[in-house]
Amino acid sequence: MLSLRRRAIVGGSVWAILSVIIGVVALYSFFDALTQRRFDQALAERHLQIVIALSNSGADAELMTQFINDPAYDRPYSGRYWQASGPEGELLASRSLFDSMLELSGEVLTEREFWTGAGPNGSVRGVRQAVTLEDGSSWVVLVAESLAALIAERAAIRRSLLLTFGLVGVLGVAGAMLQTLVVVRPLKKLREDVSHRWDLETDIDPTNYPEEVAPLVADINTLLERNREIVARGRRQAADMAHALKTPSAILRNELETLKRKDVDVSQAQDALGRIDAQLRRSLARIRAANSGASMQRRHTNVARSVERLAKLFRGLPDLRSKELEVAVPSNVTVPIDGQDLEEVLGNILENASRWSRSLVSVTCRIMNGVVEILIEDDGPGIPESDRHEALRSGGRLDTSVPGTGLGLAIADDLLHAYGGEMKLQKSDRLGGLGVSILIPNKLASDLRADGDLPQAQS
Amino acid sequence: MRILIAEDETVLCEQIRRVLASEGRVVDVANDGEEAAFLGATEPYDMIILDIGLPKRDGISILKEWRNQNVDTPVLILTARDGWSERVDGLDAGADDYMTKPFHMPELSARVRAMLRRKSGRANPLFQKGKIEFDLRNGRVMENGFPIDLTSQEIAVLTYLVHNTGRLVSRTELSEHIYEYDGDRDSNTIAVFVTRLRKKLGTDFIRTVRGRGYVIEET
Repeated sequence: MLSLRRRAIVGGSVWAILSVIIGVVALYSFFDALTQRRFDQALAERHLQIVIALSNSGADAELMTQFINDPAYDRPYSGRYWQASGPEGELLASRSLFDSMLELSGEVLTEREFWTGAGPNGSVRGVRQAVTLEDGSSWVVLVAESLAALIAERAAIRRSLLLTFGLVGVLGVAGAMLQTLVVVRPLKKLREDVSHRWDLETDIDPTNYPEEVAPLVADINTLLERNREIVARGRRQAADMAHALKTPSAILRNELETLKRKDVDVSQAQDALGRIDAQLRRSLARIRAANSGASMQRRHTNVARSVERLAKLFRGLPDLRSKELEVAVPSNVTVPIDGQDLEEVLGNILENASRWSRSLVSVTCRIMNGVVEILIEDDGPGIPESDRHEALRSGGRLDTSVPGTGLGLAIADDLLHAYGGEMKLQKSDRLGGLGVSILIPNKLASDLRADGDLPQAQS
Repeated sequence: MRILIAEDETVLCEQIRRVLASEGRVVDVANDGEEAAFLGATEPYDMIILDIGLPKRDGISILKEWRNQNVDTPVLILTARDGWSERVDGLDAGADDYMTKPFHMPELSARVRAMLRRKSGRANPLFQKGKIEFDLRNGRVMENGFPIDLTSQEIAVLTYLVHNTGRLVSRTELSEHIYEYDGDRDSNTIAVFVTRLRKKLGTDFIRTVRGRGYVIEET
């Protein structure tokens, strides 16, 4: 859907352009009419001047020139003409007509009449009238002026108008953009506040927003609170269910152990209970993953801190103490995953790597194209390519000789998917065993060079 | 060796108590957080099995409180919370080991023994002195390969003295570690148990330091 910013800018621009077009058309019409009126008025005055000159001179051509002192009438084809034709075919005309004359068509009225027609040098507009002199003779007096001047004046006005309205249009579009920036600023602030308040788990103050946005802020507060409640309730229910089911399962397991010590064959019952426990663990992990996926919160967790916490735990576990754990994770890399969930992902993969490694497990991290990659490698036997899909399946144990439920990698995979991440199993080129690559998109992350930004490996 | 189990599920408590008692441990039980906090801080336990999700007070806060009070008794957390963050938090709070439910009882027994051995600095679960061999894992005593029958109280006395080999242990200390919290702590009966042990294991197995206590000398 078109963004609000784009809508406002496009809408504002269209409106500005439309306003300019309407304004231009209206002003064009007005100025056209105005120039035409002024042109006609000048023609009428010149016509009156010729009529007076004709009357005062007694239709004497020589004498008339003394009454008409406009040099434009003397210059051939100057564009300004007069012509008077008498009752007996006499024809008096300005020198500017040179060897041509103004054509008359139709009956000439005694009322002043404007006309447009062909002139000696292009189109002309003129005025004509049949007048009767004091001696009773009737004359037809014509005055005409080339339309070129009128067209030139109109063009000059149009150029000026276009320039002015172009400027107005540009200012209108710029204004629309500026207005959009001002209007969407509260929405930008709201987005930042929402992101910030998810971390703080506090409400956003609606009074810090314009009255149009404040109801939306209140709704977001309600939504955030509801989401927090749902996520918290989901986690609480999962924890309660874990406690409610795992303790009786432990009791059952112990009773079976007691019976076994009394030489009762309980192997089938123990197997069945083992399957129930594994299914329970996977189901609880799925509830957790679904719950994490439903959370609107996207807290950023420091990868190095989580890896170091787990490394400390693994280095202290009695059965893993003899193995070396090598960590080389840049201290400033974060991923948009809840801290507990990240440690659950890493813990399960590290446990698997530690169990299978001969002596060394390595954790490294890098950022490429906005994706954080955490690579956990070991020097164990690895997993053949054909078995890797099975390893991510629920309880897909590939080797039952090593303790464990076979759920670790599958649980980690579920959780990663809930956050839009993915997990790839591959052969470790460096250590020869399994390499588990965790890929987590992080728009905020900038690429780290493979060598320069990495700390020295710690073991 | 005296162990506190802080667990609200009474059936599970009884199962663990039964197994540990069969190995010669003396077991006290606390079914809520307040009782656990009090017993752990005031009684000289050799180790504590602590559930995190206890009623009234949670296990992590109790553990932190003990460590702040300089109670350095080894603690094994036994909980249904199996998240890795919770494990890290548990060990950060001062726990020595972490087990999640459901668990295998033999594994719990093994971890309890390992923690007790680590506490006493003993690497080997088999203690041998002369012809006598004492298996700390199951409380069995053999002389030249033949089993010797010991009562649970005798095993408890012997286990504590073996875990403190080379150190003089007073009757009071011994009674604190072989009797339950609400048991009848008559230190005179300690002398009876030691006399019986001498009869069964040889008079030079346990040396009495008159007026001060008992010691099993290093071999």
